[in-house]
Amino acid sequence: MKLDAVHDIQRAYRKTLDAMSRPGLISNIKAQADNIDVEAGCFNSTVVLALMLLDTEVTFKAVSEREAEISRLINQLTYARAAEPENADFIFILNDAGPLALEKAFKAACPGNLIDPHKSATIIVEVATLGNNGDLIITGPGIDRESCIKVQTTDSWVDIRAEKNVEYPLGIDIIFTDSSHNILCIPRTTQIVKRVVG
Amino acid sequence: MKIEYNFAFFDEGSKREIRRATLKAIAIPGYQVPFASREMPIARGWGTGGLQLTLSLVGKEDVIKVIDQGSDESVNAVNIKKLITATTGINVTEAMEEATIIQSRHRIPEVPLREGQILVLQVPLPEPLRYYEPSEYETKKLHGEKEYSGVWLMLFEQIMSYGNMSTGADHPVMVHDRYVMAPSPIPRFDNPRLNCSKALILFGAGREKKVYAVPPHTGVISLAFEDFPFQTESFRNKSCRLCGAKGVYLDEIEDQATGKTIYQCNDTSFCMSRLNGKI
Repeated sequence: MKLDAVHDIQRAYRKTLDAMSRPGLISNIKAQADNIDVEAGCFNSTVVLALMLLDTEVTFKAVSEREAEISRLINQLTYARAAEPENADFIFILNDAGPLALEKAFKAACPGNLIDPHKSATIIVEVATLGNNGDLIITGPGIDRESCIKVQTTDSWVDIRAEKNVEYPLGIDIIFTDSSHNILCIPRTTQIVKRVVG
Repeated sequence: MKIEYNFAFFDEGSKREIRRATLKAIAIPGYQVPFASREMPIARGWGTGGLQLTLSLVGKEDVIKVIDQGSDESVNAVNIKKLITATTGINVTEAMEEATIIQSRHRIPEVPLREGQILVLQVPLPEPLRYYEPSEYETKKLHGEKEYSGVWLMLFEQIMSYGNMSTGADHPVMVHDRYVMAPSPIPRFDNPRLNCSKALILFGAGREKKVYAVPPHTGVISLAFEDFPFQTESFRNKSCRLCGAKGVYLDEIEDQATGKTIYQCNDTSFCMSRLNGKI
């Protein structure tokens, strides 16, 4: 693999860290994703995120039409073990997963508990495109007043997420990535409202 | 014997573990995320938490500034800088404008942090409730239930005993209206700088094995009562004897020859750049 396990991963981490600490900020990891030369069947940026975050200490769940194949690949690359969505530390929802699969995974994901809210799932979602020109207005820590985002995927994620994160500090943190290897993070603290036209 | 260490000292697995903890810490501002805290070539309690965070962050393009109690040149800062540069080869600086990562012990620099910088603070005691609750499990439960009457009582007792809140440094803060957090032993003077900071602020406690974070633009309120508002250390009518700066955090020094009290900027690089006419 052309990917530099030290420096490419470090650069991708800093971009992800930037995106997580400033929700609404769209970071790009194309330079790192282009160095992935395995035919994974998911976005290269997703592979970079898996290599950055996963190892033997954590578990994951892949939600995809080709779940078995993808799970085997992630396991081979990172040595992380596949698990049921209720117990998985990381859930990968790939772009071939249907809207129902996304809904199911969001509902099943572990939100942590009040003593250990950090034991919640991080969900990595592949979407068609990410942008800042959308009709979702976000506020919360990391955002100067407010920011706008556009996430081209099934519409229901906003409501399911809100339901899931109702009892802060419990909740799920989401990392969106798209086919241009952009990254957008929505931690549990971010409040999302839909802009109403009219 | 010359050992060829990995870039930034750590093996990649150790970095990965710290990175996972850091991302969760940012997602839950003020909450202390446990992490494995590796053995370091400096003793625990000497900034290993901050150092581990810095090593997990640092890349070839970074420029680092390390300060200890406001000074770029004290032993702790110098040794940490040596370890970082020896294992990464990156540049160090004393100028705030040039730094991308600033690791600090006990101060937030006078020059305001800017967007994109990361401030890493070394933390000796991350648990603000430890003073009155020795059990880790109990303090975790208290945080979980947002049960902070103990910390309010602690401040109230100080007012009863001393007429005011007597926290010298490490005055507890409320982060994003949820978690009470120890801001590390920064003077009260620096507490307001945590509130809605432009930069990401990370806290690392190596001995206590915790990392926590305050993302940019996050509300951080110093705990206080309506009739006893939060007050920073006052340096009214005092200025630095070297650069003449007012409204900054000053060190109080006794001139042993004359017995007089003199004041000097605590942030040495800030003082130096004023003397050199750069600010």
